[in-house]
Amino acid sequence: MFRAMIRRTLLSVLILFLVAVFVFLATEVLPGDALDVYLSEDDVSVMTLEDIEEMRQELGLNVPAPERFFTWLSGAVVGDFGVTIVDKIPIGDIVFNPLLNSLQLGAIITLITLPVAFAIGATAGYYRGRRADAWVSTTTIIGYSIPDFVIGTVLIIIFAVWIPLFPAVITAYNDAHPLELIAVSLLPAITVIIGHVAHLSRLLRVGFIETMNSDFVERARLSGVPERNIVLRHVLPASVIPTLNAMALYMAGVLSGLIVVEKVFGYPGLGIELIEAVDTREVHVVQAIAFLGAVLVVVMNLLADFAIIALDPRVRSHVSER
Amino acid sequence: MLVNDKPLLSIVTHSPATTIGVTLVTLHLLNAIFAPLLIPYGSTQLAGMPLIAPGHPDFLLGTDVIGRDFLSRLMMGGRTSITVAMIGVMGAVIIGTFFAVSAAHFGGYYDDVVMRIVDTKLSIPGILFVALFVVGFGRSVTVLTIVVGLSYFPGAVRTIRAQALTQVPLAYVKAARLRGESALSVIIRELTPNVIEVVVVEFAIRTSSAILIVSALSFLGLGISPPTADWGLMVSEGVNQIYEAPWLILLPAVFISTLVVGLNFASDGIANALGLDAARGLGGH
Repeated sequence: MFRAMIRRTLLSVLILFLVAVFVFLATEVLPGDALDVYLSEDDVSVMTLEDIEEMRQELGLNVPAPERFFTWLSGAVVGDFGVTIVDKIPIGDIVFNPLLNSLQLGAIITLITLPVAFAIGATAGYYRGRRADAWVSTTTIIGYSIPDFVIGTVLIIIFAVWIPLFPAVITAYNDAHPLELIAVSLLPAITVIIGHVAHLSRLLRVGFIETMNSDFVERARLSGVPERNIVLRHVLPASVIPTLNAMALYMAGVLSGLIVVEKVFGYPGLGIELIEAVDTREVHVVQAIAFLGAVLVVVMNLLADFAIIALDPRVRSHVSER
Repeated sequence: MLVNDKPLLSIVTHSPATTIGVTLVTLHLLNAIFAPLLIPYGSTQLAGMPLIAPGHPDFLLGTDVIGRDFLSRLMMGGRTSITVAMIGVMGAVIIGTFFAVSAAHFGGYYDDVVMRIVDTKLSIPGILFVALFVVGFGRSVTVLTIVVGLSYFPGAVRTIRAQALTQVPLAYVKAARLRGESALSVIIRELTPNVIEVVVVEFAIRTSSAILIVSALSFLGLGISPPTADWGLMVSEGVNQIYEAPWLILLPAVFISTLVVGLNFASDGIANALGLDAARGLGGH
């Protein structure tokens, strides 16, 4: 069991290293010279070759790429992502508060999504092929087909413009008090939750049906265990296991969803920071946010793997072959 | 016409939702194809006064904030994102099939390397992945198409490889090897035709999700750029007039939603009718 866990951990470290390589390559090496990203054509036309060379020195671009990569990576693992290009503000400072704000919103979303998705998935799975199942299947398709930004904007039109219950735009700052942010999190959270409940409940339905068909359920039935106990005590916990990895990957979806709703509602999180960084071409901020996002996903995935190894005796024995 | 020994009509009317889905998709496709011939004004042409409300005799659905005919923009607004999504996903699925099948065939280190690359991409949340490329390569339809392709490549490899792994141990593959067929020939002529069903389902499901992503990116300002008519972009442009002209948001919202709901109803229903249960529950983002 511990060998399997160590193996998964090492694999995660490898994946994170590859992510770092990728993040660095995509933004700094492939498009020719990183200087092209910083300077517009107008800038170049008024600069002399010496100016450009000087700027290159200043940005450390005269150092070979592999060396720059390791400097960047050794900073990144301790949370030091360098400084912004224009204002020379440490990137760690810029992303810290938005990161916490996004994590808070993400946690609220997850805490509501999981139980609701469970209830719906298990109900649909239990009544498989009957009317309730068909109804859930149809509504969940609608739920994940409508884009997040559409749900969010329509919620604003309904609950801020037509019925003025909420402000149309959140005006909280990056360093707003967590409680102040919870108060404005309702509409953004609902926006993301709709799509994610729709999607996760479909996955859980499949897991639930698979478990209901397994031998141990048949045995429990035959030995007279009440149906309610079978479902609540045995099937429900067991049906979670095969969906854990999908859920962890799903956190990647929550992060993407967050970026969209933060923009829709003006919630002061990483998403807003990211869009701003892309607009102002602050490459290092984009790198930092992408890397942090990947760290979250990899860690969630690793935790899911640990949970599977710990919970499922069947996997314990052959997980090392995966 | 028969598909998998079932009449086509019974497949597309498998359930009420399937019928609705197929109808919506057909209408959207017809509109997307023929819109340039049907629109009353150019989609970027300044045709009249700004912010005319819907119902005007010359501008059926009114005009936007700078006076472009909104009906024309709505009708043209899906073409770019549909094209980008379809070409991107098609590229991802075709190249992905080759890597997936060859990884399953060769196994060993090659398989490991391919799968670690897949894991790496799957660890970077979709929109962050795109943001990296947009900041590096700038905003253009070409970059967007390539990024969509790269985004869907790993998922395609994962799904198709799983299917190919069930084929590799089978007798016909062994027979082909013993006949002296080269590895390339086994991959392309023997294995690929036997995973094609999964490939087609993958394409169908991912295209609708890619349309969602492309429109979300346009909404965020990372995708299609103005003045192109695009539903995601139109919603974000409408936000400034949310109080005086909410239809500028609601109408493109209806167009994009009916397209994606239609695609998912249709693909879910068709997969069900054909008994491809594996496709269920895998749609979405």
